[in-house]
Amino acid sequence: MTTSVVTPPASGHQPGAGGRGTPAAHVARRKKLFWPFVAPTLVLYGLFLVVPTLATVVLSFSNWRGAGDTPQFTGFTQYAQMFSDDGFQNAFVNTLIYITLGGVGTFVLAFLFTMVLRDMRGNKMVRAILFFPNIVAPVALGMFFGVVYRYQPNRQGLANYLLESVGLSAVKFLEADSVTWVVLGSIIWASAGFYITILMAAVDRIPPYLYEDASIAGASPWQKFRNITLPLTWDVVGIAGVLWTINAIKIFELVFVMAGSGTYAPPIHTWTLGIFVFDRSFGGTPAYGAACACAVVMIVLVSVFVVALRRLLRRDAIQF
Amino acid sequence: MSTTALSSSSTGSTGQPPPRRKAPRRPKPAPGTQRISPLRVIGLTVVWLFTAFNLLVLYWLIMAAFKTPLEIFREPLSLPATLFERGTPFRNFVYAWESAEFGTAFLNTVILVAVCSVVIVLVSAPAAYALSRLGVRGSGPMTAFIAIGMGVPFQTVIIPLFIAMSEIDLNNNLFGLALIYVALSLPFTVFLLTGFFRSLPDELEEAASIDGASATRTFWSIMLPLARGGLITALILNAIGLWNETLLAIVFLQENANFTLARALFTFYNAASYQSEYGGLLAGVAIIVLPMLVMYILLARRIITGLTLGAGK
Amino acid sequence: MATVSFRGATRYYAGNDKPAVDGLDLEVADGEFLVLVGPSGCGKSTTLRMLAGLEGVDDGQIWIGDKNVTDMEPRARDIAMVFQNYALYPHMTVHENIAFHLKIAKMPKDQRDARVQEAAKLLDLEPYLDRKPAKLSGGQRQRVAMGRAIVRQPQVFCMDEPLSNLDAKLRVQTRTQIASLQRRLGTTTIYVTHDQVEAMTMGDRVAVMRDGLLQQCDTPVGLFAKPRNVFVAGFIGSPAMNLIPARLSDAGVALGGATIPLTPAQKAAVTGTEVIVGIRPEGWDTVAASEGLPVTIEAVEELGSDQYLYGSSEAEVVAAGEDVEHREAPHPIVIRTPGMSDWSRGQQLGVRPRTGAVHLFDKETGNRLPDA
Repeated sequence: MTTSVVTPPASGHQPGAGGRGTPAAHVARRKKLFWPFVAPTLVLYGLFLVVPTLATVVLSFSNWRGAGDTPQFTGFTQYAQMFSDDGFQNAFVNTLIYITLGGVGTFVLAFLFTMVLRDMRGNKMVRAILFFPNIVAPVALGMFFGVVYRYQPNRQGLANYLLESVGLSAVKFLEADSVTWVVLGSIIWASAGFYITILMAAVDRIPPYLYEDASIAGASPWQKFRNITLPLTWDVVGIAGVLWTINAIKIFELVFVMAGSGTYAPPIHTWTLGIFVFDRSFGGTPAYGAACACAVVMIVLVSVFVVALRRLLRRDAIQF
Repeated sequence: MSTTALSSSSTGSTGQPPPRRKAPRRPKPAPGTQRISPLRVIGLTVVWLFTAFNLLVLYWLIMAAFKTPLEIFREPLSLPATLFERGTPFRNFVYAWESAEFGTAFLNTVILVAVCSVVIVLVSAPAAYALSRLGVRGSGPMTAFIAIGMGVPFQTVIIPLFIAMSEIDLNNNLFGLALIYVALSLPFTVFLLTGFFRSLPDELEEAASIDGASATRTFWSIMLPLARGGLITALILNAIGLWNETLLAIVFLQENANFTLARALFTFYNAASYQSEYGGLLAGVAIIVLPMLVMYILLARRIITGLTLGAGK
Repeated sequence: MATVSFRGATRYYAGNDKPAVDGLDLEVADGEFLVLVGPSGCGKSTTLRMLAGLEGVDDGQIWIGDKNVTDMEPRARDIAMVFQNYALYPHMTVHENIAFHLKIAKMPKDQRDARVQEAAKLLDLEPYLDRKPAKLSGGQRQRVAMGRAIVRQPQVFCMDEPLSNLDAKLRVQTRTQIASLQRRLGTTTIYVTHDQVEAMTMGDRVAVMRDGLLQQCDTPVGLFAKPRNVFVAGFIGSPAMNLIPARLSDAGVALGGATIPLTPAQKAAVTGTEVIVGIRPEGWDTVAASEGLPVTIEAVEELGSDQYLYGSSEAEVVAAGEDVEHREAPHPIVIRTPGMSDWSRGQQLGVRPRTGAVHLFDKETGNRLPDA
């Protein structure tokens, strides 16, 4: 894991600035490449990510609708209005549910799989199949789920068809009181493969003799997981948790298409923060100020979760 | 081959060659590994259910694209029949292709994805090299600063970007979308490639400078070829991501002639479900999924290792 | 304490029709230190792993004491294993590592700590109990691995090349420590190594394996004095025994002007017309070039106490009583001479096998011809 970077002790010194540790001529020559090489990336990054993010923060304090009107700065009014908005409240709660419960569900599933997949026959094949939903466009997944969860007597979607064929009664999956959980399940199904793959890659790096020693000790699968797999993949779990947060906060197309008609936003009880932003900017009646305020909430939420995860999961680095 | 090995091994030793036995088809597993523990049983059940479900879903999707709506809902698990009997097995695909203008969208997407993926790598590779190997002070914080961009949801930037792109007439324009795609893909790609460059040995760079190669030349003819695996991985991952990208395409493309596949599918969904054209709808889904599926089958290993490498650092 | 016995133990690997271990029969006495030695891929590690229960047994049985453990789980066998890479848990301290097996076995904490303290004292690990393995030297890690095996107080120790990751000097030192520790504890030990010096210095008995087959199991002296076949003869001893093919005649075997007579029993045992004459480097007498087997010196290895001459003979292996000269290609010969002798490169000398230093093997089968 340790990687060596050419970092001569005097890398901070300008060539010739001090006698001690002046970098070799070829190193100094190479350093001249730094700015030409980095500049295009920094310019694009600045113009398309940093500046727009700052602009969003500024716009979130305005009442701009984006329909030909002139923005006026109104302080936290947008935020206040937004927090009392039904759509936003739904979106906020749903997004929190997806991040937390979805995260817990996905990781419990992934951990369960790591216990089994490590010494299972044909595990490479199984892993490839589990990963498959991750290469499918979320919009396609959403449509697909829309048809799978369809409720219409005599013309049931696949889910209800299976329920009815084992003698159970059909369920209105996409109704207000169940849709959050159906979406949650779908998200876990669609993304589990990715996190299983990441965790398994970390598990594969654990030397097999540790598990052998644990076998001799008589450790159960749970004890092996608890004493070997978990502590030795902890850093990767942390990174996977951060990735999960980043991906879960921007969930949009999947829900938008699955629960709605496709053109207009779905009913508000299915909303995520991503859908709220879209609805207030390009979906229904434009209200750029509110959309920007919600976008800022998304950024804050990501930051809070990522910082909390890093705090929570911090451990000493492990050297094999 | 195995029999000769067996007989030659026995000559050198005990005098009497042991009776030749047939090797078991599958050697016995170590005792205890097949033990039934509740956790293992649950785990195995879930793994197999999950795997079977994924395969079922894929089967259902592909079959449904060849079925009439009635078949999709009444006989979801059987093989398609009606359209084949009518002699028009590709009816759904034809419908989707024509009514949603998937032809143009397909061409748009292929060109857009190809150009963008290449440009992204061309821009990211030098930056990743400079940040990871030149040892310039501040490289670390700068890399971190760019990596943070991975955590910024696109929703945060679309409004200002939309306004700005409209101002300079790049809205509803594939070039404008390409520009956004390239810029927004940089954080991930730079992050991925710094990992690759960091893992390369120092000696080759040093040998090149001893041979008198210029710094630029060292980069082009030594470091880039060495990082080829990483560059290809970055190319593939970006291609998959952009092929499937929907949000930005919805925001920045309004005219059918400019649509990408994901964007066209998004519009098509509404029309098709309104007309109960579920077969056409799922054929549309298949059109966007199948190219990725083929790519995945061909490149699964590279895609998976690439993604985990990006995440594992 | 217990005996260990392999009864026709056989192990196949998937995709290979040739067994990795083929019908191994081996009895290990209670408290014995048995070394399994052989080149890589000979099946010695597989044998150990079968005993530990980390590999299945496809055919035959393995017994520990009066228990048939063939299908038992590793934990039920009451063994401890020291791995080549030590298998220390990187996230646990030395104390936690040593105590791990006891903790899994649900031993109460105070008993556990007492055992760990005892082992740490025995192995000079007391100052390091709170460190993680990454902060230890190679030798210390090796001792932690030993400690983890000792605290279990098992019936059998399984050691899989435990010294191969140490540098040469430490290896020699640790070798004697392990051997004396084993003798003090009196625990039956199966020790795997590819290093024949390690095998000869540590084991009560040494089992030589090759291609999954047991070649010979004997005391170090027995192996050295009476190797059962050409493979064992060449594998045990350093530098290796000279193995020179020669043609057989009625009188015996002619080598360098001397004729080595064969007993009737030996003659009867020869399957072909040729034998292999084995002579250790120290089994030669040096004579004038014209008298013995002529050797041209190609390199001199001066060790101070001894000197080894590496040369080649125009191996004029003439079968006694035959008219026609039977010339072989130049054959490499190693000769031990007293240290600081006056030999140099390019010189010629004659060598003659010392009486009683000759080993005879059948060329076809490679087996030793009967000694009497």
